[in-house]
This record gives sequence, C-alpha cells and structure tokens, in this order.
Amino acid sequence: MALRLASRRFAPGFAPQVFRRSMATTIEHTKGEPISTAAEAATASRPPIPASKTTNVKEPSMDKEALTKTFHIYRWNPDEPTSKPKMQSYTLDLNKTGPMMLDALIRIKNEIDPTLTFRRSCREGICGSCAMNIDGVNTLACLCRIPRDEKQEARIYPLPHTYVVKDLVPDLTQFYKQYKSIQPYLQRDSPPEDGRENRQSKAERRKLDGLYECILCACCSTSCPSYWWNSEEYLGPAVLMQSYRWIADSRDEKTAQRMDGLNNSMSLYRCHTILNCSRTCPKGLNPALAIAEIKKSMAFT
Amino acid sequence: MAASLRPTLMRQALAAPAQRTLTSAVLPAFRVQRSQPILKAIPRATFQTSAARQILPPLPQVIKGGVNDPVPTPAPHPAHGSYHWSFERAVSIALVPLTAIPFAAGAAVPMVDAGLISLLVLHSYMGFQSCITDYFPTWRVSVVRKVADWLNFLAIFVVGWGWYEFETNDVGLTEAIKRVWKA
Repeated sequence: MALRLASRRFAPGFAPQVFRRSMATTIEHTKGEPISTAAEAATASRPPIPASKTTNVKEPSMDKEALTKTFHIYRWNPDEPTSKPKMQSYTLDLNKTGPMMLDALIRIKNEIDPTLTFRRSCREGICGSCAMNIDGVNTLACLCRIPRDEKQEARIYPLPHTYVVKDLVPDLTQFYKQYKSIQPYLQRDSPPEDGRENRQSKAERRKLDGLYECILCACCSTSCPSYWWNSEEYLGPAVLMQSYRWIADSRDEKTAQRMDGLNNSMSLYRCHTILNCSRTCPKGLNPALAIAEIKKSMAFT
Repeated sequence: MAASLRPTLMRQALAAPAQRTLTSAVLPAFRVQRSQPILKAIPRATFQTSAARQILPPLPQVIKGGVNDPVPTPAPHPAHGSYHWSFERAVSIALVPLTAIPFAAGAAVPMVDAGLISLLVLHSYMGFQSCITDYFPTWRVSVVRKVADWLNFLAIFVVGWGWYEFETNDVGLTEAIKRVWKA
C-alpha cells in the first residue's frame, strides 16, 4: 500500500499520530467498547459487540510449529434481527492457508464455521465480489495478502456505510441504481460511416485506458466521506468514473446530455477531492482524476 | 493506533448524556444503557470519530422505485453546477494576487483592500454554502436547509457592512494586519 500511494510519503510529517486516521476506516469504537451510549441509542446503525466479548473459534487440530493468526470478523445474522452485530474471532494456521485474505475466509467457511457469509467468485480480482474492509482499508479480499506477522490480528468488516445483508455482504442496490442512471452504454444516432463498425483512432482509444478496467467493486464509493453523507444524491467516485468513461468515448454522441445529467449541485459537485477513492482502489485506478476531468470539461460551459 | 495517546477532551462531553436526568428518564433507551457502566470502562476517548456525534444518523434502508429502476437524474442547473464551480475556482485564484499585493506594495491601497475583502466574503459564503449542502440534504431537513441557506446569505450583508464600517471609519484590513503582525 505504502508503495502505491504517493500521499502516504508526506503523511508522517504533518499531523500528529493522535489526529491521524487511516483511509476508509470504519467507526473507531467498533474496535473496543461503544464510545457513547447516547449516539448508540440515537442511530439506526449499531456498533458490533467487540471481539473481546465473543468467543474465539480455533482451528480443530493445530500443529506444533503452526503459524497462528487471529481474524476478527464482523458477523450479523438477519434471521435474528434483534441481536446486535458482533465481532467473531477465528484462529487459523497460516501454513495450511492460502496467501490471500479470501483464502482464509474460504478456509474458515469450509473447515470451521459454515455459517460465515461473504461474496466471492473469481478469486483473482476480476469480478469485484469480495470487496470488504480489511484492516481499515476497503479492498478485495482476493487481492489482499495476509500479513505473516502473528501478533497483528486481522479485522474484517463489510464495506463501510452500507446496509448489511448478512455478515460481510453489503447491500449495493443504490450503487447499481446509480450506475444505471448514467446510462453506461454506447449511444449514437448516426450509423457508422462504412456501415460496419464504429471506428476509433488509437489516441482516442487510449483515453479509455484506466477507465474501462473498473470492476465496480464499490471500494472507492464506500470509502468516500462525501458519499457516506449523500449517497442518495451524490453519485460517488465509481459511478462518476464510469460516467466519464462514456463522456470520453469518441464514439458516443450523447456527451452533452451526459454532462447535463451531472450539472447540478449534488450529482457531481459533492466531490471535494478527498482522494480516498484513488487511495483505496484495489485495481490501482484513479477515480478522482476522472472526476476532475469531468469538472474541467464542464467548467465555463 | 496510538489508542492511549488520544486526547481525553471528549470524555466529559460523551459522559454527559448518561448522567443528565432529563434524557435518561424520558428515553427508555438511555435508561437501559445507564445500568451498564460502559462509559467508565472506556480506555480512551476518540477525538476524531464522526460516529459518536452524528448530525443526521442513518435512516433504515428505503429503496425508492424498483430495485432495477435507475435513480432519477436531476434537471440541469448550471448555476448550481458548472457555473458555480467555475466561479468558486475563479474567486479562489483571484484571492492569491490580492493577498500578495499588500505585502509587495507595503502600504494600504484602499481599492486592493476593498477587492480583497469582497472576495473573502464571497469565498467564505461559498465555503459555508458547500458545508450546508453537504450536511443538510433537502430531502431530509428541508426547513433547516432553507433557514441555513438564508442565514448564510444574510451573513454576506452583515459581514460586508461590518467590513465597510471598518474600512471607512477605522484603519482597514491591510493596516490592521500590519499593526498586529509581529514577525
């Protein structure tokens, strides 16, 4: 992570440790005791019971030279709506587990606790199903290595500020509805000149690099504080980057209409260049740059 | 991460609701929580968390329309969109030379002072407006939003009048900074 993120290099100098907060962190107090009974009573979101108050399920047969590691995983079962979410701990032998977080999750589900629920499909960073908050960073579990340090316990939460369906499964309905609203498909009225294909020069095609690779895992949108506050109206980095993917496409003829759809106070301009999106993207894309390009192309028009 | 280092400024503020008799008597939720000595067990107080003092806590999930319908696209309002954004940037950029000129000139120039102040007022108006738009969504607290927006608008004139008085009857901004600047 530190290699990928330019902003990290400057971080230590400025803010003292106490005021710093890593990107896309879930509520701090979920790591320990609830911080305020008042806040807890007033809100619909409930912080989970901390791991210190739940059991730790260990792997059935642990070797002598086992490399053990504890995973604290957010659990909530919709079949028991009155019970609070909790942090369940699992201890695994890393020598018997694959290198990635997803391998650990699959192993827990197969061998220790079959009730653990999460989305996964391709296990190689192509489908975007296993997006979750691992050690305070929104990322794909299949692209996140398990740190080999035994003392460092892993904490896995669903994507922050989403409605949870079960355990690590977030409800992305709003995200997909917003994606649909930007009409993510080629729109043109005139037929291609040669009657066969919509052609594009190499330079025009190159504009789409870094945009079309997005797998819509929602890691960036759910790491954006502005999207946390205004997810009803603000489209969020992932959807805006896809919007720009079609605005930048030379074959598309509805560019003006697409821009008109964003030209209001909420849809686009709630982006305050916080840059959490570019920082967290597990595919190394840059949604903030795409949003800046939209703003730039719409300026003074 | 440096849990023990966190400032303890918030601790009293956080403890207050549980002790207050009014709330704890009225709301059952508080009464139940009060029997558990949770607050005393807090090993630290987190200054930076946004969760403990939520302005508008999240509501239960409501899906407007069908799950397969797109969210409605608002009508284009360039005055709130692209024009607004461009104007914002223009004001910010214009402030840079206006801040530098008094340093270079050395003496207070009334017109530069006037320009600097009027742009500062506009700049802060737009900054506050942005905060209001962020924190008070129209669909949720329309009245609060309206009041906040108008108060913000009113502040332009109140602050502008204050600066006018200061400029005409007193020394003015540049001269005032010059007097308090001991560097």
